[in-house]
Amino acid sequence: MSETASETFTLVITGAPYSSQAPETALGFAQAAVNAGHRIDRVFLYGDGVHLASALCAPPSDETHWPEEWSRFLADHSISGVACIASALRRGLVDETEQKRYELPAANLRHPFEIAGLGEWVEGRIKSTRTLYFHAGD
Amino acid sequence: MSTLIMIDQPPYGAWTGREALDMAFSLAAFDQPASLLFTGAGVNWLRQSQDAGGIGQKTVEKNLSAAPIFGIEAILADRASCKSYGLEESSLIDGVTLVNNDAALLSEYDHTAFAG
Repeated sequence: MSETASETFTLVITGAPYSSQAPETALGFAQAAVNAGHRIDRVFLYGDGVHLASALCAPPSDETHWPEEWSRFLADHSISGVACIASALRRGLVDETEQKRYELPAANLRHPFEIAGLGEWVEGRIKSTRTLYFHAGD
Repeated sequence: MSTLIMIDQPPYGAWTGREALDMAFSLAAFDQPASLLFTGAGVNWLRQSQDAGGIGQKTVEKNLSAAPIFGIEAILADRASCKSYGLEESSLIDGVTLVNNDAALLSEYDHTAFAG
């Protein structure tokens, strides 16, 4: 790899874990970018990608736990992980604030993910030198 | 930084198109120049007189009519896709500009994005 200026990235994940490769590919990219000295500004989950922030995924023990892997990566590198509120509410992913607001029986947002609006994506695009999208590919 | 949001999914089989529209509206709400390009099966979004009541959905025509209010700069449709779906210019909703979805078009924008 040639010497290049350090980049800052906003990563957008729109594919869900276990139905698409998107979260896995995005994590591989994020790890490689950080190892190469670049910075991940934020990770924005949109559409089906919000399922990555669920605290209730329980895959078989011989399969990679993508929500757990991503949570650990975000926490280890102090990277903000944001699930789009509109996508999240439609798909049954809520934090305690939204649980109360909609009087739902449970909250299931995994730490350290947060729920916020598309403004986070807009801001990420402006602040980061590059924005990359990881789609389901269907 | 001008952005072209591309919608290549038909209006009622998936939610990605609606979520792409939200991305475009959100950009416009934050004063970021944004346009929409409908291409492939996505051109069916632009068909006049849709009625989605039978499938329990709101017509996307209504969502799209908010585009100028939000400040979306242009609603573009790929000419060849319209032709393959039998859409004449006269059967499209108002305010659509026919273009060729090619490298020259994309080079006019700093950024292109799909919702999924």
